Amino acid sequence: MNKKITTFFLFLGILTFGQTKLPNVTLKTLVGQSVTTKSIAENNDLLIISLWATWCVPCKNELDAIAEVYEDWISETGVAYYAVSIDDARTSNRIKPMVNGKDWEFEILLDQNSDLKRAFGVSTVPFTAIIKKGEIVYNHVGYSPGFEDELYEQLRKHSK
Amino acid sequence: MIKKSITLLTTICVMYTFAQENQSISIFDQFSKKLSASYESNSQWYLNDSYVDNPNNPNQIGEERLRSTNFLRLDYQFSEKFSAGLQLESYTPENLLNMSNLYDKDLGIATYYLRYKTKRLDLTLGYFYEQFGSGLIFRAWEDRNLGINNALRGGRIKYALNDDITITTIYGNQRKGFELSDGCVFGVDSQINISNIFKVIPKGSLVFGFSYVGKKEKYDAIQNESSIDIPELINAYSARINLTNGNFYSDIEYILKSKDLRLKTSSGIEFSEQETFEGSALLWTAGYSQKGFGLSYNFRRLENMRFFSERVFSDPLTNATNQLSVNYLPALNKQHDYTLANIYLYQTQPGLTVQNYDPIVKAGEIGHFIDLFYNIKKGSFLGGKYGTKLNINMSYWASLETQYNDSNSTGPITGDGLTYESDFFNFKNKLFSDINIEIRKKWNKKLSSIFTYINSFYDKSYLELPIYDEVRYWIGVAESTYKFGGGKSFRLELQHLSTNDDARNWMGGTAEYFFNSKFGIYLNDSYNYETSNIPADTKVHFYNIGGSYAKGASRVALNYGRQRGGLLCVGGVCRQVSPNTGLTLNFTTTF
Repeated sequence: MNKKITTFFLFLGILTFGQTKLPNVTLKTLVGQSVTTKSIAENNDLLIISLWATWCVPCKNELDAIAEVYEDWISETGVAYYAVSIDDARTSNRIKPMVNGKDWEFEILLDQNSDLKRAFGVSTVPFTAIIKKGEIVYNHVGYSPGFEDELYEQLRKHSK
Repeated sequence: MIKKSITLLTTICVMYTFAQENQSISIFDQFSKKLSASYESNSQWYLNDSYVDNPNNPNQIGEERLRSTNFLRLDYQFSEKFSAGLQLESYTPENLLNMSNLYDKDLGIATYYLRYKTKRLDLTLGYFYEQFGSGLIFRAWEDRNLGINNALRGGRIKYALNDDITITTIYGNQRKGFELSDGCVFGVDSQINISNIFKVIPKGSLVFGFSYVGKKEKYDAIQNESSIDIPELINAYSARINLTNGNFYSDIEYILKSKDLRLKTSSGIEFSEQETFEGSALLWTAGYSQKGFGLSYNFRRLENMRFFSERVFSDPLTNATNQLSVNYLPALNKQHDYTLANIYLYQTQPGLTVQNYDPIVKAGEIGHFIDLFYNIKKGSFLGGKYGTKLNINMSYWASLETQYNDSNSTGPITGDGLTYESDFFNFKNKLFSDINIEIRKKWNKKLSSIFTYINSFYDKSYLELPIYDEVRYWIGVAESTYKFGGGKSFRLELQHLSTNDDARNWMGGTAEYFFNSKFGIYLNDSYNYETSNIPADTKVHFYNIGGSYAKGASRVALNYGRQRGGLLCVGGVCRQVSPNTGLTLNFTTTF
């Protein structure tokens, strides 16, 4: 058994390399149209994709915090922010009223069966990634108050 | 299996060795760019605790005190169109406490797939995840926290005729730990966007969807004199319409499931072989929203909608973690994060179960859920400088009203020939209701607060065991976060649950401090401070202390604490859990 565990960890050691391309996954818009992450990346040189859910308090805190400064970010870096909800049928009906009720200006997309979440290989939300010309250049899992400042620093670094 | 792993490892090692040489770095670089991998590890060490080890405690932890589950997922994009992947899982020496023991290998290949994807065509061979409509008729998915992975192994073809019409066909056997279900599942789903074809709705869309899902499974009758044909093929049909127009939307979905045997409870896993029953589901959601305001309404009626790829798994007592479920039936009420709000949590009642003694026919549920969001404008009297965010929601759920006919019962023992009729629209048998009010207020650049009030009714007798009573309670929560700048922040949360029923009053709280945006620690406690008829909860501290460190896509969290036993409901799934005290280590990373 120990051998197997060693094998497992060997994998890890070997694989910690390099940047990854943004996985190509089909998502839905709020009106039920299909859209691929590939086409989004082709239309936006600099882009943030964050995974969130209506039931996740840190996610809502993150989006609330960024919503306040989003206009400045757009004018300074030209970034487009895609908030991709991983809510499933249990809570997906809350997305539209919540987004409008909270007055968020982000592009909202739906990942109802967690295809993008799986492709990113994350198990918890929020997960935030900066994508530059189709490649993931920065990512972060979790949210703590003030993280938006660090995200902004990273964004400025990559907007040049 | 081990041989395979070693072969794979060797291949990667060879690649790695190549990469050591300068000329080949670009090859390795290309390889790693096409490869994405993620790893998750959850380990628990259950420690001795006089509370947990109490011999009166019905759910004992067992021999294995140190357990670890590990997931490694690899996806490789060969070319623009071809990709493949696999997931290795390890449960050593066995799955974590309260998780399914179907997952029983020290190391095994859990899923694998080969996929070909173009703009119109998407072909998958091997294991795949998929959902039709809202999942009421079919959903194959994975949730590691809940211990669910019911991926199908077989094939899937998705074909988009044009931008408006997509057809999906599936065939396969469901994952059953490291094996496969006896029953096979197949289906077809079509989604048709009418709005672009007919241009009937200028500012929105109209989408139709039709699905069929079938399950074929052999049934070995126990009684020879069965008077009916026991169906081996169970068919489910669904139709749905999603309409969006400007600020308004309305989605409706109806499912019909063909006749199947009913489960007899409290007699092991047995089925009545004299009668079969149809199932149905109706879901309607509608909403209106505009800048600063959102309203949604959900109605759902479920009758006899338990649907599993193996009949024996439809027993909720022996399959508490919902393994091998074909469809997805989440509870539709507000999902809470606060610990005290998760003590009495409603769980879906899809039916059909009949108590063997003095029949209680639990045929299903009916109810609704309203959700309102309102943003009080900045600068107004109530809004203040930063605005105030308000969320109110209410839900009401009842069991279906039924009349049964049990002519061949023997005394109080329910007969196999029991039949029943249900009312279509009757809300009178209340099981659960709640009203939640949440106010989010930012005071200044550094300080913000959330206030929550919950008032709820929970029929513990029907939802858990007949020995319990109804519970009426209310909860108040206040939490504030102060940002010191530079990522430092402090959060304090206080909770109180008030009730004269069941385990009576609770208090709780959390303190959390982040040193920077990467590293934080927390402490929380829930304490039931009154004497009551529920000794397992009386005057016991359920405390947790822990910390987490996140860097990039990696996160490590360490936690020490005591968990409550009883019914634990997360993500719409509830199960009986053993109380435990111990150390938990979680690690996730992607590369």
